[in-house]
Amino acid sequence: MDRLRSDKVDAVIVGAGAAGSYFAAKLAEAGKSVVVLEAGPAWKLGDLTSSMIHGRRLKGHAGAVELAGSNPWGYSFNAGRGFGGAALHHYAVWPRLAAEDFNVKSAHGRGLDWPIDYDELRPWYDRIQREVGLAGDAKAEVWRGPGEPYPMPPHPTLAGGEVLKRGFDKLGIRTAPVPMAINSREYNGRPACIYDGWCEAGCPTGALANPLTLHIPAAKAAGAEFKAGARVTRILSDAKDSVSGVEYMDEAGERHQQLADIVILAAAPVENPRLLLVSANDDHPDGIGNAGGQVGRYFMSHPLAIMHGMFADETAPYAGITGGQLTSRDGYTKDGREEGAFGSYQWVLATAIKPNDLSGIATSRPDLFGAELDVFMRRAVDHYAQMVGFVEELPDADNRVTLGEGKAVDGLPVARLTHSVAPETQALWGQVQAEGLKIYEAAGSEAAWGQQMVFAHAMGGTIMGGSAEDSVTDSHGRVHGMQNLLVAGSGLFPTGGAVNPTYTIYALAARTVDNMLAHWSDYTG
Amino acid sequence: MSIDRRSVIKTAALGALAFTVGGKSLLLTPRQARADGIPLSVLSDQEAAILSAFGEALAPGAAEAGIAHYVDAQLAANPDDALFMIRYLDVPPAGWRGFYKGGLAALEALSQEKFGKNVAALDGEEAVSLVRAIAASQPDGWQGPPAPFVYFVIRGDATDLVYGTMEGFEALGVPYMAHIPPETRW
Repeated sequence: MDRLRSDKVDAVIVGAGAAGSYFAAKLAEAGKSVVVLEAGPAWKLGDLTSSMIHGRRLKGHAGAVELAGSNPWGYSFNAGRGFGGAALHHYAVWPRLAAEDFNVKSAHGRGLDWPIDYDELRPWYDRIQREVGLAGDAKAEVWRGPGEPYPMPPHPTLAGGEVLKRGFDKLGIRTAPVPMAINSREYNGRPACIYDGWCEAGCPTGALANPLTLHIPAAKAAGAEFKAGARVTRILSDAKDSVSGVEYMDEAGERHQQLADIVILAAAPVENPRLLLVSANDDHPDGIGNAGGQVGRYFMSHPLAIMHGMFADETAPYAGITGGQLTSRDGYTKDGREEGAFGSYQWVLATAIKPNDLSGIATSRPDLFGAELDVFMRRAVDHYAQMVGFVEELPDADNRVTLGEGKAVDGLPVARLTHSVAPETQALWGQVQAEGLKIYEAAGSEAAWGQQMVFAHAMGGTIMGGSAEDSVTDSHGRVHGMQNLLVAGSGLFPTGGAVNPTYTIYALAARTVDNMLAHWSDYTG
Repeated sequence: MSIDRRSVIKTAALGALAFTVGGKSLLLTPRQARADGIPLSVLSDQEAAILSAFGEALAPGAAEAGIAHYVDAQLAANPDDALFMIRYLDVPPAGWRGFYKGGLAALEALSQEKFGKNVAALDGEEAVSLVRAIAASQPDGWQGPPAPFVYFVIRGDATDLVYGTMEGFEALGVPYMAHIPPETRW
């Protein structure tokens, strides 16, 4: 088999999503030679059609993952594909993890601890919000840990947010503007948002911080090379403690080798552990970094309590920001709950919703069809409002990525993702949904209803920790026992809190880049 | 780095779908393809008739919006480029054709059992009754993919075409507010 071998570079990065593009930009700007290999297409801003139908092209690879467990995870809706990854269709809701999210095991005797705490990560949270631009109200966001004020004022609360806030106010539950990586005014040459609610279809204007707007152009300008349609098949390792690069397959099916001093896996929490596992060889018989059997373990997500309601007020639900207008984290205290429930939760109010799609108004009442559906739609487009409860899911070693029975296009096993919701999380979700209904009632809704549990935000699978016996990487994402192999992204999280993960992805990436550049020879030998 | 917020990008593939006719690829909306009688690639004429009628019962306007040609084009496409909702309901692509064909066949069998008629020949009340029979449970003797899932998926296609296009938004009185509109209105 012909394996074309490229010139060796300083770093090869697998995946051009949030973390991969950040590493590419910063390493290239520091003078390193960088190649980024992305299996999906080379999306451009001009590809981001304002359509919930066309926007599906940005989502997961069809048939990529086998799903198992009591609560098979909604992989395809959440995953990304191509330049930008999942961050290309993310909603840019950027809260920080809370201090208590970092030491759940020490504090509560369950879950896991991070090897770092909030104070240690804080400087990079602060740096990233300056660089990227966050809009919010740090004073009103009383739950946020110590940190710099946001560089931009918060986004306005529109009709839907005002209506739902009535309910929170009446029940004495505090709200604050959602911290958004979306410009509320011009910032760093990028325009302000115009509140048309097309975020999920991908924002082409530059207002929303996605990799096509931020770090991919910066990386390319600094000399990083991006290759689309380049599916990494395995990590190359001919030693017990180091890797030499990766093998990848191009769209014609031809295999290539990209040698590098450092390999960074940034292909998200399912594909990263899959690559470690399929790269098994004589030195790593159970997969690279898997001597302790931890690769793939502790997959987590956020079960969602999506709430729907109708109001006499006009709510214009199709406008605004897909990620919402207001947030509440008054429900963040993990313990002291009834019926064995445990964990944190967050509300996001007034998510902008279009008439169609899995997340659309028509799907909020899946029981309606025909003439009844049409009557509902004609009223709902002006009077419907949605809010979403994000529920914490604790790390469970049996929620994991393993190798499946099916074969990927490269002939190697696909990933198998096993996921079940624990009783304490199910109980918490039920309580969150019940609170949601009370809030709608307090807001004066004409009708309010919930729906079945769905999931968002893949995390874990390659968690950071002290040793290979209990984790896969150190706090910088370097795989235990391997000098020059790193993992990036939310797969590193030992716990997920109840907040959207992208901001923490960037903060961790920034911290690791600083460490790499300061200690480059430690990584390269 | 960023584009003009109001600019319209002319890209041939946006909005329209590719229908192969006589070895040539035509870019048409599903509505146009239906109106022009473009031959189907994957669905049979009977399957298309069932899908049109059932889709119409789920969301009025779906038949004329070209639901049969829309689904047919999606089934013929590369799975990575498919746009219909089943794409991210975690059904393996190898199962998409079987899902639709099996579901449509099961609907036809149920219609014959209940009414002695094809789905396409049902009147309004009969069509509503057929939908209700599968929306929330599996009818006795149903031989096909899970009936409520068939309902959900085809309903998703129907609501996409009736409510999720520029024409659909306009009919609802919802401002479309596109940064980059689909090139052709469906």
